[in-house]
Amino acid sequence: MRFVILAALMVTLASAFVLYSSNYDTRQLEVRVSEQERAIEKARGDIAVLKAERAHLARPERIEPLARAMGLAPASEQQLAVSPDAALSRVMATGSTTSQKRGD
Amino acid sequence: MERGASNSHVEHEAAGEVAAEPRSANGPLRTLIATVGVALFFMAIGAQLVRLALMGLGDSSISMSETVAQSFARPDIVDRNGRLLATDVEAYSLFADPARVIDRDEVIEKLALVFNDLDRTSLRKDLSDRTRRFVWVRRGLSPRVAQAVHDLGLPGLDFRRELRRAYPGGKLAGHLIGYVNIDNKGVSGIERYVDDVVGVESVQGATLAERPPVRLSIDIGVQHAVEAELQEAMKLYEAKGAAAIVMDVNSGEVLASASLPGVDPAFPNTSLEPGNLDKIAGSTFELGSVFKTLTVAMAIDAALVTPDTIVDVRKELSAGGFTIKDLHPLRRPLSVAEIFLHSSNVGAAMLAMQAGPQRFRDFLRQMQVLDPMRTEAGPIAPPQLPQRWGDIETMTIAYGHGIAVAPLQFAAAAASVVNGGRKVTPTFVKRPADSGVAVIPLIDTATSAKMRDLMRRNVAERVGTGKRAEVAGYQVGGKTGTAEMPGVGGYREKSVISSFLAAFPMDNPRYLVFVMIFEPQGTKASSGEVLASLNAAPTAGRVIGRVGPLLGILPTQAAAAGAPSVAFDARSGAKYETR
Repeated sequence: MRFVILAALMVTLASAFVLYSSNYDTRQLEVRVSEQERAIEKARGDIAVLKAERAHLARPERIEPLARAMGLAPASEQQLAVSPDAALSRVMATGSTTSQKRGD
Repeated sequence: MERGASNSHVEHEAAGEVAAEPRSANGPLRTLIATVGVALFFMAIGAQLVRLALMGLGDSSISMSETVAQSFARPDIVDRNGRLLATDVEAYSLFADPARVIDRDEVIEKLALVFNDLDRTSLRKDLSDRTRRFVWVRRGLSPRVAQAVHDLGLPGLDFRRELRRAYPGGKLAGHLIGYVNIDNKGVSGIERYVDDVVGVESVQGATLAERPPVRLSIDIGVQHAVEAELQEAMKLYEAKGAAAIVMDVNSGEVLASASLPGVDPAFPNTSLEPGNLDKIAGSTFELGSVFKTLTVAMAIDAALVTPDTIVDVRKELSAGGFTIKDLHPLRRPLSVAEIFLHSSNVGAAMLAMQAGPQRFRDFLRQMQVLDPMRTEAGPIAPPQLPQRWGDIETMTIAYGHGIAVAPLQFAAAAASVVNGGRKVTPTFVKRPADSGVAVIPLIDTATSAKMRDLMRRNVAERVGTGKRAEVAGYQVGGKTGTAEMPGVGGYREKSVISSFLAAFPMDNPRYLVFVMIFEPQGTKASSGEVLASLNAAPTAGRVIGRVGPLLGILPTQAAAAGAPSVAFDARSGAKYETR
């Protein structure tokens, strides 16, 4: 009987230790989880801001003047063709027209 | 003393003898009870450990005694290609705890340095109430402004992180998107639809929504092109406003809905100014001669006439004190096709009268022009109809006067005219690729084909009023309308709404473009006239020439090759010169 009591006492102490360490680990994990959650939330917030900034920078109202300053213009129906061959032949034709205009 | 001690010892021994007997008898019982107690205690601990291991900690809740403003996390709004139109971003909101504010005057004076428009009286009143622990000072601050306030180092002020709606496109499609209130709750337009149908999440703080974005039918590229061309038209024709729709005639999806002057959803107050009202879905107008598209379609669909039927339009019509006449009468009988091409008011009125008021009215109701309509952005401004629909009303409505409808509602009816006669329900939300559109016939396919032919002729032929809308390779078809605007005591001759209803390509229409120019002036660009043929038609042509390639419409090669105007500079390899 004395052995049983002693064993029970040992088990009690061991359990208390295990419980304490589990509790401690759990708290540590909870801290890490909340840190990760905060990091995720911050990253999501940053992504949202970056997405908004990218969309703001890519808005057509801003891009169009920049594109025009580079000599570009809205695509015209003349730049569409049914096939690459048709496009190439048209480019060649217009290229020769341009050359003739320039007197090359 | 000695004796006493000895006696005491004896008594103890005697007592020990007496006590020894029950100890030996109760010892195992007590041990058993203790063992069972310890065992139960361990079992309870074990059970608790098992329970915690299996079920976790369970939900915990935190109750807050402080009153905190509720906010809403909203899903993004994107265009049909996934480009961002509206999103939530984190912002700082400044609040004060009056109980912790030491010097009210200092707080107010220093805050006024950061916020020029600070309402000092109101803030002083709020801060004077020491029973309050929470007073909003300013919400939705940028990080820079928040830092400036923080640097003031004032006690009793603090920040709360909140979600604010951001519109990266600025005024782009501003009327359609609508706006939200200070709590990030949708108030109008698509933002209201997001609240009512898609759903928003009530949050405290700055937690972003998990919901997938709301994908609109709008194409940002097309929307911008339309707005840019309308802006240019307003300058060219010195107009007070302009509006346009680009709609898929088969699915009813609206790819662009522009109304100028535009509004920025970030500044909701601007949308309430009378000049800034949405001219596409939020207002109704007498549209004038574009309405003849429906009148002629009605007459052909009812088999009252064919495009070749001759109608004598030489006499002016009189009814109820009104005289209906043509602007440029040809003084000869006209075919129905010519009535359409020359935009004869008398001819249109005669066709409507041939059908009769009831049949004409039934046809317009069938085409969804007379009943209220709504889209995801809310109800369209309801049509304004005559109180009594008699002969004179039938005649004036035949050429688009005496009835006022929202341009979007009219565009849906016009789309049905050109798409083979199928019902079109306008939508601002992209339809899933695999979702079929219910086919509900409104008019005969043959009628639709004849109307397409008439509209094409109106642009392609020299006599057509819409010839300036022609775009090489796109087979544009359409109808002009120059409607005098109603004023005090009648119509104002010089104040008109010029419009052009177009569809392309007319052999198999894919898109409808409806352009309106409000109160244009007779400028050099329009040869000093305010006619739609000289301002709205060329504007529609420019819009189609610009959005056609964006929409992937392949021009007919014969027409395109016949007018080469693209110069590719092979040496620089980068320059394109377009018309």
